[in-house]
Amino acid sequence: MTRVLVPIAVLDGESVSPGLISLLGTVDVTVLGYHVLPEQTPPDQARLQFEERATSALEDMGQEFRAAGGAADHRLVFTHNREQTIDRVAGEVDADAFAVPGTTGDVDRLLVSLSGDVDADRVLSFVEALVGDRPIGVTLFLAPGEDARIASDEAGDAGGPESPGPIAPGDAGDAGDAGDPPSARLAAAAERLREAGIDVSTKSGAEGSPFGSLIDAVPGHDAVVLGERAPSFRSFVFGGEGERVAAASVGPVLVVRGRRDDDVDEDDADGTAEGDDE
Amino acid sequence: MPDEPSGRNLDGDAPVAEAVVETEEATITGDAELERTIGLTGGLAIGIGTMIGAGIFVFPGLAGGEIGTAATASFAVGGVIALLVALPTSELATAMPRSGGGYYFISRGLGTLAGTVIGLSLWLGLVFATAFYLVGLGYYALDALAQVGIAVGVGSGAIVSVIAVLAGVGFTVLNVTGTENAAKLQNGIVALLLSMLVAFLGFGLLEAFGLVAVDTPPGQAANVWGAGPVLSVAALVFTSYLGFAQVATVAGEMKDPGRNLPLAMVGSVVIVTVLYVLTIFVATNIFTRDALLSAGETAMVEVGRALLGPAGALVIIVGGLLATMSSANASILSTSRAIYGVSKDALLPRWASRINLRYGTPHVALGMAGGPVVVLAATGQVQLLAEVASFLHLIMYGLMCVALVAIRRDRPEWYDPDFVVPGGPLIPVVGALASFGLIAFMNRLSILVGLAVIAATAGWYFYYARDVSLKGAL
Repeated sequence: MTRVLVPIAVLDGESVSPGLISLLGTVDVTVLGYHVLPEQTPPDQARLQFEERATSALEDMGQEFRAAGGAADHRLVFTHNREQTIDRVAGEVDADAFAVPGTTGDVDRLLVSLSGDVDADRVLSFVEALVGDRPIGVTLFLAPGEDARIASDEAGDAGGPESPGPIAPGDAGDAGDAGDPPSARLAAAAERLREAGIDVSTKSGAEGSPFGSLIDAVPGHDAVVLGERAPSFRSFVFGGEGERVAAASVGPVLVVRGRRDDDVDEDDADGTAEGDDE
Repeated sequence: MPDEPSGRNLDGDAPVAEAVVETEEATITGDAELERTIGLTGGLAIGIGTMIGAGIFVFPGLAGGEIGTAATASFAVGGVIALLVALPTSELATAMPRSGGGYYFISRGLGTLAGTVIGLSLWLGLVFATAFYLVGLGYYALDALAQVGIAVGVGSGAIVSVIAVLAGVGFTVLNVTGTENAAKLQNGIVALLLSMLVAFLGFGLLEAFGLVAVDTPPGQAANVWGAGPVLSVAALVFTSYLGFAQVATVAGEMKDPGRNLPLAMVGSVVIVTVLYVLTIFVATNIFTRDALLSAGETAMVEVGRALLGPAGALVIIVGGLLATMSSANASILSTSRAIYGVSKDALLPRWASRINLRYGTPHVALGMAGGPVVVLAATGQVQLLAEVASFLHLIMYGLMCVALVAIRRDRPEWYDPDFVVPGGPLIPVVGALASFGLIAFMNRLSILVGLAVIAATAGWYFYYARDVSLKGAL
């Protein structure tokens, strides 16, 4: 079953909009209530004081998610470092994606970005599971100048044994053809979703930066789905792409996590352990 | 042996206790998780950042002024004692990676009375240490003023006190209201200081071995090599070695505590010991005893000037300001954790660990740290503040070693340290003897003030928390 992690700054009064709750009705949800503390405050001290209040808020949220259809549980973490916590818990519950909550009403149309160095196969599988048989439309988006990278990346892992859904392996293989021009790549991805019974349109970004053209494409959509990218200098300085898109687009963003190889994952964890302190 | 703390204090509060699971990345309690966010670099930065300000920038003048090059031996003795305590502390900390550090180990190993005395002394010891760092900061600020042409002739002592008090108030307010991540800044400052020092010491050593020649001022006073003076200076400068126990106060927030806690504690002690000994060697090589004595707390500025001219003086002034600030700030952070540890166990009223809703900071604990710091900083008594801080810490260090022996003997079921001190009881026993022994070489007034603090904390135990039982509980 597909699982989505929904991190909530629970004691800062952050909540999940009804639109996001119903959008996530087709998947399992783990609500991650976190509270970020300044370093002057031992996390345990905050727990003693705030645990009850936070837990009751999280239980209410879990109920709302269950009422929308999927299974839901919750975790409560007191931390000094939000990103580290989200990363750890997402790994522990084996979440396929995490949400950046934003405000939205009922979701009629998703904007799905395949730009950049992302695992498009996982993104498409996630979208299929998320939409299910509901009448939610999807716009596939590819930023200008990003097609070469995505193509070469995809060639390696497209059509893998993990890709579920009603699509035949051969089609997935087509989607991963390295030589395809961007329009063909979008078309192949669209074809895959169409076969799953989803109303799809495609959109290639016009001139401009990948980020700016994605934001320009947001109007008319209620939520954005992105693939997770490797941490970069840019994400180090400006925060994760999901957060930036959520901030610019107001609506919720779902970030599909990259495939985790166990060995790679541990190396990553060590890398961040040292890096985070700097 | 009870597995859980029990009993109630005068307010009717019982110690907070529940079963928790420790992983490398988080502490998992019944309904919540506490993320471990401090890595090895962060731990080293806390240890080194707390220690380096005093040993490099304040003591060379005082220690070198008293016994000359023999002060290198004093710093080496201090480093060895610190190492003898850091090893047992590491074992205890990996078995009990909780906030509160030394207090926590001693209350579990030796019972509530010793725990209360140490918990409150740790708080007050940190208060004395912080006040000492702030006075050091005041001296450097004064020199910085002189450097930019504002000469303060008469009443410079009063100016130092005023600067120390203002800085104390400033740090407290910043800690209560600031939600910025100062830890990253602290790491940067420590890295900057280390690179400055390595360059400076490298040049100083070249000079010492005659590869580079600079004019050294004349002086006649000889070095004082003798066990008595060396140990007495060691007792004074031991304040430069308090930081590794501060690492233990954040044990609950260290990632992979079994590996990172011992490395951070032992590593920071070794690194600062080497730097201290080299610094004193360079300083006393350039200046004789009387010249250092007359330069006082900021003698290092004169050393920098002699080695590298005005630029050298400037580097040392900037370094001294940064280092004393980072020491003071790190100590205030540890103080609030020490108070929290004691208050959680119902040895202080529960309100002492309240968290401010607006800023998410423990304003009461920070106030209990900052208030007395400001009062003590106003006295401007560098030596007294340093020695009382050392006294209170040395008592804790000695008792931590004793607690290790006691816990190993009692072997509670939960006692399963990742790091075990080799050599059986040898190192903790020597560590305890050395810690208590060093106290004998202190000033009589410092010992009296220290004893008064201990007596007051014991009195508090009998008044407030006599019925609380913590021994053997996890």
